[in-house]
Amino acid sequence: MNKIELLAPAKDLNKAKIAIMYGADAVYVGGKFYSLRSRASNFDLKDLEELSRFAKQYGARVFVTVNIVFHDSDYYGIREYLRFLEKIGIDAVIISSLALIPVVRQEAPHIECHISTQLSSLNSSAVRTLKEFGADRIVLGREASMQQIEQIARKVSVPLEVFIHGGMCSNYSGRCVLSNRMTLRDANRGGCAHSCRWKYKLYDGDELISDPECLLSMSSKDLRASAYVERMIKSGIASLKIEGRMKSEYYIGQVVKTYRKMIDEIYEKGSLTSDRLAYYDNELSKAENRPSDDGFLSGDCDNSKHLYGVNGAGVTHDYVAYVHAFDSSRNIAVIEIKNIFAKGDELEVFGPKIDNKHFIAEVMFDEKYNLVELANKPTQLLLVRMPFAVEKGDMIRKAAHE
Amino acid sequence: MELLFTLRKLRPLEKLLPFADGIITGKYFTTGYHLSLDEIRQACRFCRAFHKKFYIVMDDFVCEDEKILLYDYLDFVDSLGVDGIYFHDLGIYNAAKSYGLVNKLIYDGKTVLCNSLDSAFMLDQGIDAVQISRELTLSEVKEILKNHSGKVDMQIFGHLRMSYSRRRFLSNYFRQINKDYDYLGKETLTLVEEQREYRMPIVEDDDGTYIYTDYIFEMFDEICDLKKDIKRGIVDTLFIEDDALICQVLRDYRRINKGNQNFIKDSFLHNYPNDYSSGYFYQKTNITKE
Repeated sequence: MNKIELLAPAKDLNKAKIAIMYGADAVYVGGKFYSLRSRASNFDLKDLEELSRFAKQYGARVFVTVNIVFHDSDYYGIREYLRFLEKIGIDAVIISSLALIPVVRQEAPHIECHISTQLSSLNSSAVRTLKEFGADRIVLGREASMQQIEQIARKVSVPLEVFIHGGMCSNYSGRCVLSNRMTLRDANRGGCAHSCRWKYKLYDGDELISDPECLLSMSSKDLRASAYVERMIKSGIASLKIEGRMKSEYYIGQVVKTYRKMIDEIYEKGSLTSDRLAYYDNELSKAENRPSDDGFLSGDCDNSKHLYGVNGAGVTHDYVAYVHAFDSSRNIAVIEIKNIFAKGDELEVFGPKIDNKHFIAEVMFDEKYNLVELANKPTQLLLVRMPFAVEKGDMIRKAAHE
Repeated sequence: MELLFTLRKLRPLEKLLPFADGIITGKYFTTGYHLSLDEIRQACRFCRAFHKKFYIVMDDFVCEDEKILLYDYLDFVDSLGVDGIYFHDLGIYNAAKSYGLVNKLIYDGKTVLCNSLDSAFMLDQGIDAVQISRELTLSEVKEILKNHSGKVDMQIFGHLRMSYSRRRFLSNYFRQINKDYDYLGKETLTLVEEQREYRMPIVEDDDGTYIYTDYIFEMFDEICDLKKDIKRGIVDTLFIEDDALICQVLRDYRRINKGNQNFIKDSFLHNYPNDYSSGYFYQKTNITKE
């Protein structure tokens, strides 16, 4: 059996490279057109080509989202686009328009068709139908429980992809046009205004029945399926998908690395102890910007899985710097400030090859070799003396103590 | 154009059916229909007696552990000898094959069937027709109808469904605020976003929560041009309690459908005041935030 795939999102080339360096087997990205995340920076053709080349060096695969709900005029240029994707070696497109299956076959025969979660496939019969239609992989709807996922996986032969982490639509994907009505932004063509996260008064007839101190919200907590990864591996799921094409490089790095290590440990040891699962959960919590739970995987989503009152946005740990280079002869790292930190702060480094290694930021210079006491200018480059080697692509955050 | 209306609860069919060509009803894998299986069977007999068409709707998603119910229900539907089945979940297409019912299927694209190519793809699977999404401009509708004349159904009246969730927003909310409230299946609840004023009907049932437009969609002005290409026009009666209003809507659409140009929309609006809208016909929704 093939090892399960870890599939990560990226909103730009830098984040895609980070995802791959931190252990993703595949990344999914959106082009400038045809993609649901209009506010993600999204890749132009040159970026896609570079990403494809970069991914091949690491043996990683690249999937491109072509997952808007197309209106007739939106198909303009799609054939040329698919031919280009084929030419640069893109491995798959993630689609929700079934009519694209024969078009992809015709224009880009080496590219796989993955059916987006926009189709909310929740039963084995739907999966079989999509396979008959020519799909190479089906992304299951996020409303399926773990038990249902196992049942479906037992009954079908087509590879299945399951979301394991990140933000969740509170409605069935693709079946919500609240944003269209309330903002004239088409939720299914990249314009979702996240109206589900807004607050609503509730009436019965003319009687106001909502609590003014706690209005109704449809906002869901994020998904964190760490506790189910082992069962997903054992049930034969082909790919574990992380959500977050709008997320930061820190989120991508931390979440990908954590799941990478978790998956590898499960394959190596056969299972995870509760202590190890707790360790990985703690690692994932470092990149959380919203409370999380296991969504529908455990069955129903009750009120504990919703966000009322505040939206819950925020980070639990500060990501303070990104490593651009390391001079091993002088033990000096060139870092880019992401968030404020000060001389004397205890920091920790994590990266593709380094795990939460602590150090005290004692000697820091700016580019003109002035000593820096307070690193408080985001994007500024600093030189920092390191007690151990780091690499380009490593990240630095304020140290967490268990 | 066949003129259909949704029979969501017991209504005086003898008053409504003369103005329509048939009805759409259902029980499982859909929402907002309150008839028992016996009542559905009776409604079907009633339609047959008056040579009217009879359609079943199964437009919600099917979970893996509901498949036994799906096949049991398809047994029942098959036994009725229905004229068509509206479906959305592609698993129903697969299941309908084993009953030889594919040619009676009508794919209701809900919010995700917005173009001619996808319509063609579904029609190529041997189904009878497609029902296109409501989030289309009039020119987009015309384009699809031009490409698939006589194969496209449309909702022509009623509240439009805006969202469908498996989550139980009302149950969860009342639990959150510790309030006992009789809400299940109730059709009088509305949501008002805190910065806005319009009221959007919200319903929760065993399968999840559904939110609809505050307004009632109508296309009296546009139907004249489109009727020759529309296979079935559907008057959705959800949240509309007034039988007289439904009767008048059917009567007026029927009149227009038969070529009577004297229909006066103003008179209808005056007699049955409501918040009506032409939906997205004249409003593009492709604004994106840069």
